[in-house]
Amino acid sequence: MGYFEGFRVTFEQLFRPRVTIQYPEEKRPKALRFHGRHVLNKYEDGMEKCIGCELCAGVCPARCIHVRGLDNPPDAPVSPGERYGFVYEINYLRCIHCDLCVEACPTEAITESKLFEFSFSNRQDAIYTKDELLVADDGQPKHLPWEDWREGEDLHTSAWVRATAPNGDADYEGRVAWSAELGYGVRPPEAGQLGDDDAGAPIDDITVEQVAEGGHH
Amino acid sequence: MARLTQENVERAREIISRYPASRSALLPLLYLAQEQDGWIDDSAMEHIGDLLDLTPAQVLGTCSFYTMFKRQPVGRHLVSVCTNIACLLNGGYELLEHAEARLGVVVDETTPDGEFTLEEVECLADCDRAPCLQVNYRFFGNVTHDDFDRLVDDLRAGRLAETVPAHGVLNREQPPPVSVRRADAPHGAGD
Amino acid sequence: MTEQTETKKDTVTVTVDGKTFEAAPGELVIAAAERHGIYIPRFCWHPRMKPVGMCRMCLVEIEGVRGLPPACTTPVAEGMVVDTRTPVVKKAQDGVLEFLLINHPLDCPVCDRGGECPLQDQTFSFGPGESRFVEEKRHFEKPIAISELVALDRERCIQCARCTRFADEVAGDPLISFVDRGDHTQVLTFPDDPFTSYFSGNTVQICPVGALTASPYRFKARPWDLDQVESTCSTCAVGCRVNLQSSQNDLVRMLGVDSEPVNHSWLCDKGRFGYQAVEHDGRVTHPLVRKGDELIEASWSEAYAAAAKGLADVRDLHGAGAIAFLGGARGTNEDAYAWAKLAKGVLATDSVDCQLDDGLPAAAVLGLPRATIDDACRAKAVLLLGPDLKEELPVLYLRLREAVVDGGVAVVELGPQSTGMTRHAKTTLLYRPGEAVEVARALTSGRDPMPDAGGVRGEELAAAAGILGRAGEGVVVVLGRPSVAESGRTVAEAAAVIAAAWPQARFLPALRRGNVMGALDMGLAPGVLPGRVGLDAGREWFSQEWGVLPEEPGLDAAGIVGAAAEGRVQALVLLGADPINDFPDRTLARRALAGAGFVVAVDTFLTDSSREADVVLPAAMYGEKAGTTTNIEGRVTRVNQKVTAPGTVRSDWIIAAELAQRLGGDLGFDSTAAVWAEIARLAPSHVGLTADVLGRRENRDGVVAPYEGEGPPRHEAPVEQIEAAAAVHQGETLPSEAVAGAPEHAAVDEPSDDDDPAGAGRPPLLTFAVGDAGSTAAPPAVDAYALRLVAGRRLYDNGVTVRHSAHLAGLAPSPRLRANPYDLDRLGLGTGDRVRVTSSRTTLTLEVAADTGIPRGSVALPFNLPGEGAADLIDGTQPVTDLRVETTN
Repeated sequence: MGYFEGFRVTFEQLFRPRVTIQYPEEKRPKALRFHGRHVLNKYEDGMEKCIGCELCAGVCPARCIHVRGLDNPPDAPVSPGERYGFVYEINYLRCIHCDLCVEACPTEAITESKLFEFSFSNRQDAIYTKDELLVADDGQPKHLPWEDWREGEDLHTSAWVRATAPNGDADYEGRVAWSAELGYGVRPPEAGQLGDDDAGAPIDDITVEQVAEGGHH
Repeated sequence: MARLTQENVERAREIISRYPASRSALLPLLYLAQEQDGWIDDSAMEHIGDLLDLTPAQVLGTCSFYTMFKRQPVGRHLVSVCTNIACLLNGGYELLEHAEARLGVVVDETTPDGEFTLEEVECLADCDRAPCLQVNYRFFGNVTHDDFDRLVDDLRAGRLAETVPAHGVLNREQPPPVSVRRADAPHGAGD
Repeated sequence: MTEQTETKKDTVTVTVDGKTFEAAPGELVIAAAERHGIYIPRFCWHPRMKPVGMCRMCLVEIEGVRGLPPACTTPVAEGMVVDTRTPVVKKAQDGVLEFLLINHPLDCPVCDRGGECPLQDQTFSFGPGESRFVEEKRHFEKPIAISELVALDRERCIQCARCTRFADEVAGDPLISFVDRGDHTQVLTFPDDPFTSYFSGNTVQICPVGALTASPYRFKARPWDLDQVESTCSTCAVGCRVNLQSSQNDLVRMLGVDSEPVNHSWLCDKGRFGYQAVEHDGRVTHPLVRKGDELIEASWSEAYAAAAKGLADVRDLHGAGAIAFLGGARGTNEDAYAWAKLAKGVLATDSVDCQLDDGLPAAAVLGLPRATIDDACRAKAVLLLGPDLKEELPVLYLRLREAVVDGGVAVVELGPQSTGMTRHAKTTLLYRPGEAVEVARALTSGRDPMPDAGGVRGEELAAAAGILGRAGEGVVVVLGRPSVAESGRTVAEAAAVIAAAWPQARFLPALRRGNVMGALDMGLAPGVLPGRVGLDAGREWFSQEWGVLPEEPGLDAAGIVGAAAEGRVQALVLLGADPINDFPDRTLARRALAGAGFVVAVDTFLTDSSREADVVLPAAMYGEKAGTTTNIEGRVTRVNQKVTAPGTVRSDWIIAAELAQRLGGDLGFDSTAAVWAEIARLAPSHVGLTADVLGRRENRDGVVAPYEGEGPPRHEAPVEQIEAAAAVHQGETLPSEAVAGAPEHAAVDEPSDDDDPAGAGRPPLLTFAVGDAGSTAAPPAVDAYALRLVAGRRLYDNGVTVRHSAHLAGLAPSPRLRANPYDLDRLGLGTGDRVRVTSSRTTLTLEVAADTGIPRGSVALPFNLPGEGAADLIDGTQPVTDLRVETTN
């Protein structure tokens, strides 16, 4: 009788739902906060958000980000203000996708997409330059030839948390709130991010428009 | 052009000789320059710096601190309208707006004919006659809009020349007393 | 009880935050507290400037005192009880910071100060955390350039007045000032009058916010990607302590370190921004060997072989005396020692000079009793016989200026033209170029009435002598080369005259090249050996270690260049030297480079001179190598490496060691540490000054050589020598055997120190007396139609550092001939006119300017500015250079 006991386990598994999928033809949906390849965002007017402040490089535990700032050319400014990111490089052989750079960024210039499937045949190619990281004119991350983008991976690439009110609105000082932004790539806030009213609200119930309202009143 | 004239340089040296430290003569010399041209331009400040062994930046620092030193050309009549609390409550701002409309300039501008410069000032210490104003630092209290229009007409016609001398000649009308003893001191003794 | 009253006199007891300690009377609460580990927040207070109490950040509670007095303006008093952390103080700090931040733009991410900003840091530590101010902040045009080097962002300014006070109190260049009032208050220069102070970079360093930023550092890095090491600036010989900071292997910034005996945290702009030359793209990065007309990149072994072969050929054919070394005053002590050992111990030539006839004879610098900078600043009187300190040794100027303005030190200036010190000097004696000796004789003669001498009136001399006193007691002579156009020997001779007449006077050399004092100490000069000993005196001591030594004293720079021009020196090794630009007489320098059959240049850039070389060996620059350096006082400090040198560049000592090997010698060391170990063992003035001693905490500011260890001072007055010299002086006879180019060194035996067995057999240190400078030909009689040339230097010149520093290169002025208005009138000239200037060498067309600081009969033309100039006019074979000045039309 003993061996029937062994088969019992096998038979039980036959009727359970299957968890293996046919990767790479078939893919599992990724978690909402999945950290993939970075993108450098632009404002709607085409200005780059990156101001070359190097806070991302400073906070990076893997020391994989290299940024150099430069004076904005007065006639053709690249970003608002005095300084822009002249060099921006991420070495993906080192990056651990911890997202600390995203948290440190004061302008939401750097955020992450959900793309993780990209490979290189030499070390040099593993260093993404600013040109490759920067979103295209339509605000979408560039789909580079060696990257395997799937639907939805380039959506909702903006940041998660804004802790304070950069616009000087005293009501928001020190309050963890969601500051929505105009343009492409906005993803909805999570429960509790809009303040007390929406505490516990399920994520999927909040639309982008609500976010925009909630953030700026 | 706006350096001190030879005559005023002599006067300047005499003024400097009155102070133990030459730098103390800075304010009187700025007055002297303003008296000469009605305002103090950059070359006057440089000249004063030379006379006192100061850098032009030091002269500018002092000159720009005092609002009565003008660093832009001023018309023949400097109209200073008070908008501090007592005047404000009695229509100081309305008077200022009326003045702007009547003269056709905004605050800190001079009329094209060079007759009037309008400025907004803090309390002139004439609160019992609010709203008040000064023309070339002469007081006019309880000024109604009609009073203002009349005042402008009178000034323009020269009818008040006796009581309101032209801007920039304030000191010249009443020269500072010159000490007889010190007048004999050689020029530039304090230089 | 009696004990208490006694201590009460020199200290007071104060209690800060419950901690009781002793403080000096008059010390400010903020400083006393900081010494005992209690930090009181501040913005305006700076330990090196006078307190003003402007920012109100340091408010504290003091028992028995009403209100909250600022700790930075309150001196300690006996029994004072201070609290810096009470709720009342905290509330005041919150309030002050909230006020300060009202108009502060908080653009920290793009601000160069962000991350190392006192306003940021103290807001985090002491601030309220949030602001109630929601209105619009004040706005100004974002950074405006107030000079080529400094940018001002008025929005960020919190009006602490540190910069304006620095400019006024410390630098003496009040070119920035608060303008306007109230909420419009801003720091500004006068329109079109930029902040051209030589010390402007210090305002950037002390600005507690990002209002003043340095253009060369703008957006170059952020504090968290900087790496730093403490070192000593080697732009000039003052030896300021600095922090060298790099990012990604690029030097990006230098900051002054507060060194009590030297720089008090200040730097000059040339020192601060000169690092740009290190990062310049035009560096020589690989060895070059001449093939035909071209210098071709070669491997090190090829280059070494070519250099060694050239030198060996000359040695074999013409003898070691036909090889000469010029330069070497820009490296480390180790570099200099290695070169000296190669030249004297391997090649056996004594024709070595680290100066280019633009300084003073080595014997004078090494042999005169030495003073420190502190000695000069505490002296009863300072006699300044040297260059324009503001232009050549700017931080020494700051120290002396402070000593005059705050300490009341009397300065007597003796020179051929007015300088930056003139306005601070009690009196300035302007002598006729070339006649310093006569003036020195008259000044020290004690005669009454005093005769006129060297173009200086007797009454002026008498007044100066009155200030300086009779015996030179408490007098420090700051001694350098006032003008490149007059012989350095006359200045050295004048110094000898002063030293002989005033045995108690001490000398502070004012030579300018980065490590010229170290190079002289290490023997890179004719007639001397490492450790301040004469060639003959040290022969026995060194020959045991080095093997060979030169038989005869060699030539100094003037002698070398002259001999090379005549073909007597066949091989020339240039150690970072550019004689075409730095030797006083350019014509002669050109002839020398053409006349020397074989030239090796060890250099960092291809200069006019190294372009003529047969072999160019690329050397590491400042910040790329470690070692030690020596400042004007003889203070030995460490320099450290911060970045890796480009290409295959190597340190000088390695190059010297490799060459030695190929020339059949062995320098015997394989690391910088080993070189220093040998110096600390062999060089008599440095014996015992080991790396261990230098590394001690109490020696962070360096150790002044001669190192005395625990024993008695060695350099204290060799009295007999001075008395003997004084006797010679009074007889006014000069030793006739002194020969030009071969100075003789009156080495006097000091009584050997029997208590110190290690010192046994150690040769005595050099001394210097009248006549030791060599012949000093009297200048020709004054020609009524000629004007005598004075050639001082400017801080920003055509030197390698300035030329290759992007932000400094444009600051070098164009050469103008300055003359007394009387002389210009006489010639019918006015400022701005162009004139033809003729010397025995050439004719130049120059612009003239009237300057009352030039005595009648002289004209001043700065040395080594871009383009043609003083070096083309100067005839190095003459003691002075006379010029004819004519109108061009």
